[in-house]
Amino acid sequence: MTTIRVPSTDDPRVMLEEQIGVFEPIPPYPPRTEREAEFYTLGDGELFVNMGPQHPSTHGVLRVVLKLEGERVVDLDPVLGYLHRGVEKLCENADYHHTIAYTDPLEYVSALFNEWAPVMAFEKLMDVEVPRRAEYIRVLSGELNRVASHALFMGWMALDLGGLTPILWSFIERDDIVELLAALTGQRMLFNYFRIGGVNGDLNHEFMSRLGTWMSKATEQIEANQTLLNQNEIFVRRMRGLGTLDRETAFRMCMTGPNIRASGVPLDMRRSHPYSIYPELDFDVPTRQEGDCLARYLVRLDEIKQSLRIIDQCLNEMPDGPIMAKLPRLMRPRPGRAYAAVEGPRGQYATYAISDGTDQPFRMRIHDPSFVHLQAVGLLTPGNLIADTMAIMASLDPIMGGVDK
Amino acid sequence: MAMLSRTFGRLTLPGKIVFTAVPLLLVLAAGLTAAVVIVGPVVLTFLGDNVPLVRFVVAATIILLMTVPTAFLIIYMEMKVIALMNLRYGPDRVGPYGSLLSVVHGLKVLMKEDFTPTGADPLVFTWAPIVVYVASVMTLVVVPFAPGLFGLDLNIGLLYFFAMGGLGVVGLLMAGWSSFNKYSLLGGLRAAAQIVSYEIPLTLSVVGIVLLSGTLSVNQITLNQSGSLFDWYVFRQPLAFVIFFIAATAEANRTPFDLTEADSEIVAGFATEYSGMRFGFFFFAEYVNVFIVSGLTVALFMGGWNAPFDWPWPIVAQPDLSGMGIGLLFALALIPPLGILVLGLPFYLVNSQVKLWQALVIGFVLFNLVAVAALVGFAFLSFDWVVGLLWFLTKTYGFVFLFVWMRGTLPRVRIDQLMGFAWKWLLPASLLNLFVTALAILVVDGIR
Amino acid sequence: MSFVPGLGLVRGMALTLRRFFEPKVTNLYPEVPASIPPKFRGRLQLLYDEYGTLKCETCFQCAQACPVECIDMGGVDTKGRYAIHWGPPETYGERREESALRRAGRTVPDPVYEHFHGIDLHAVDEILEGFDHDPKELLGILAAIQAEYGYVPVAALKRVSQSTGAWYAMLYGTATYYDHLAVGAPAAAPGRADEAYLGALDGALSGRGARPDAADDAPAGER
Repeated sequence: MTTIRVPSTDDPRVMLEEQIGVFEPIPPYPPRTEREAEFYTLGDGELFVNMGPQHPSTHGVLRVVLKLEGERVVDLDPVLGYLHRGVEKLCENADYHHTIAYTDPLEYVSALFNEWAPVMAFEKLMDVEVPRRAEYIRVLSGELNRVASHALFMGWMALDLGGLTPILWSFIERDDIVELLAALTGQRMLFNYFRIGGVNGDLNHEFMSRLGTWMSKATEQIEANQTLLNQNEIFVRRMRGLGTLDRETAFRMCMTGPNIRASGVPLDMRRSHPYSIYPELDFDVPTRQEGDCLARYLVRLDEIKQSLRIIDQCLNEMPDGPIMAKLPRLMRPRPGRAYAAVEGPRGQYATYAISDGTDQPFRMRIHDPSFVHLQAVGLLTPGNLIADTMAIMASLDPIMGGVDK
Repeated sequence: MAMLSRTFGRLTLPGKIVFTAVPLLLVLAAGLTAAVVIVGPVVLTFLGDNVPLVRFVVAATIILLMTVPTAFLIIYMEMKVIALMNLRYGPDRVGPYGSLLSVVHGLKVLMKEDFTPTGADPLVFTWAPIVVYVASVMTLVVVPFAPGLFGLDLNIGLLYFFAMGGLGVVGLLMAGWSSFNKYSLLGGLRAAAQIVSYEIPLTLSVVGIVLLSGTLSVNQITLNQSGSLFDWYVFRQPLAFVIFFIAATAEANRTPFDLTEADSEIVAGFATEYSGMRFGFFFFAEYVNVFIVSGLTVALFMGGWNAPFDWPWPIVAQPDLSGMGIGLLFALALIPPLGILVLGLPFYLVNSQVKLWQALVIGFVLFNLVAVAALVGFAFLSFDWVVGLLWFLTKTYGFVFLFVWMRGTLPRVRIDQLMGFAWKWLLPASLLNLFVTALAILVVDGIR
Repeated sequence: MSFVPGLGLVRGMALTLRRFFEPKVTNLYPEVPASIPPKFRGRLQLLYDEYGTLKCETCFQCAQACPVECIDMGGVDTKGRYAIHWGPPETYGERREESALRRAGRTVPDPVYEHFHGIDLHAVDEILEGFDHDPKELLGILAAIQAEYGYVPVAALKRVSQSTGAWYAMLYGTATYYDHLAVGAPAAAPGRADEAYLGALDGALSGRGARPDAADDAPAGER
């Protein structure tokens, strides 16, 4: 609570004393937990800064209440739910096919993986064998989407550290891929491409010709763009040793994807729980031992190269055949439950679906890696500076669309 | 009276205006004439006795007027150059190649609502942008643009410069404190810490130059660098140049040291709560600062208005206009229409789409361009200060380009790295530079 | 990172300077339209066939399938009779033409259907009560109605739609899809004891696919 002096509405010459409470981020109710009581009590020389939900670098609408001592972050309290859309509940009232349209915009940067996990779960429910050509097309488009997502991550990372240029170069890369996927799927961002038992459309000439053009320059261009970051002393000095997450902690935080691989755990759904055609493909799982922000950045850089390798193999070994399995019009799986997980650009995307024999899922649970990774911000940030909060958050790469669901 | 008013009532609107304005103007003119006749001699005597005062007022006015187009130019340059580096086109709609966009930005800023947030300290809040702007603009007074073209030749010019530069931080602190916003407060504190820290290496790095040239006057330092290219102090004091450039970047709050308005961390720093023209003042001050810092770097290290090489061709064009006699009058009367015709007719003859009047308009524009170019060329050849001004501006905008280029490339440093860099690297390096310079001067003097 | 301090910065600066002179990638949109792949699904336009007529038949299937009811639609039905409209109920409720409602599968207060109301629907109500008005049991309800009446009256379908909340179009589609259900009653013979109708029904039930002849008299909108 702060007292301010404001001019009276009747007579502007008269100054009134007025109490205002809106400037402090303290919740209006009494503390519900001990943690809340401890956090919302200010120590000597500390102040709250309410970062977000409208802030340039919170990757969406995340609100973080920072407790600062000067420039140093003492403690922080993330407040979620500004982007909650109730997707899981919506899915329970939609046909199995409609579900894909709902899960698509969950994590809008890599939408194909949001389709892939539920589609795989439903296929398990229905006992559908997906044609091999469809699996190849899925892997091909999925890896393209992974490259797009990682390319954008590089730009965001730089933007949160104050670089203006890499984000636009990244968007050039991403735009190329998005145009490619638009030629394949018909949409630029929310593809709605995977179907239960296959994919929506076959490879077409437009896509193949554009893919050839893009592949011929992709590696070179991404490498060139990285000169601006991973050779830059300012960037490397800021990232090295910042937000170090050791192996055990990463395990205990249930992290997945590049973030845990940067801590030295070669955990990759594509290898550890193989699905689709990944067991037949030849690629490495890049890991780093340091576990700091720089390692998380470099692991993603390596992953782009592996993804390009996978795309190459998919194109070389693409079989002929149908792209959709034979399925009844009205989709009614037997009562049962199924779980499917895929390795997305941010980690493990999973869907747990329960069928009660009708044409709508009885319950659908979506696991999104961003939510898990966001927990680590509270662990890594205290003790660092405000600027490091942004760097750590950017390096964990959460997307609020997936966090709030 | 009634007749007068009836007559007046029958007039049309322009008539009313003219019949009101003309007598008023006549009265005004008479009054002014009388005032000039009566007070004029006194004022003239007073002004004649206080030439430095007049010079200061005139210089300050000209500099205040000059900063606006300078800021517009640098803002446009920043938008365009960074866009081109980002593989974008940047501004390209308003005016030729989008060059009027920054003017439009200025108009937009003027038209925006200008509000004071609840809880802000209105007085401090209002004065902060003015302090920042005036402090940055007033430093321009001592920068020598060309031989004889400077505001004031202070014998403590450098000291004045650093003092006024340090005053800007007061404005930033005022803005940060009075906004009643924690981002602003953090921005203001960062500004204070950063600028106070970087003042020290900035000042110490030029002490070497002061030792070499033996003066604090910027004009004199520039004069000392005349001669060949290697008389420039950048070749005698390379370390000081590097230190000065880095510290000046921090002093002007430019990337990679733009922590005070780090948009990804503290939204807009001290300017978070500002809108309208108050924000515009901060914005202008930032870009004027870039110009000033570049100008001072040029004046201290890059030879100021001295050309890097002698003009390779001997200057022959000293036309004796008076020798033309009555021909000059004929030439003045005939050249413009002839030039317009000669430059415009080809368009009319070659392209059947172009009408005659359009061709004449094109010819008029082209003739004006040619005439201005000829005039500038003539001035370049005839007057010393035009050459100097051109060289000075060329070098200065080169440095401005460098600042913009850095902004397009580099990420931002962290606050502890920033402070550590100032105190652990720049300060010892500048002290070392000072020590070595002093020793060298002693040794050279001893040999002599 | 190199061993020479600042070399990385210089390399970055060199890269940006090189990009400074490279050709730009921005699409100058109003002058140069974007190249849209043939498969692009996001066109905000209706497509024309090679004869220059609209491909859209105003069948309202898209509006009906839209999960958030964001599709708003107007047009003329296939016989050119009605100007029809479909859209979110709160926006277009009062503008709904009956043909649109019928095509879209909503219940229609239409005098054309009056003769269907002569059917005694108590049996339907009992059946619905037995199935607890559960829309997920539609096939069972329809089978029970078929068993009760010998065919599936349109009036019964409407009652089922009202009572369970299932879309009439869905009900109609389901009922006409399965061979063991015979939809539509002869307008002249609403009773269940009509000889000709029962004969036709036998034919239908025996799998030859013959439909009650009188069903052809059903309004065009039902097709």
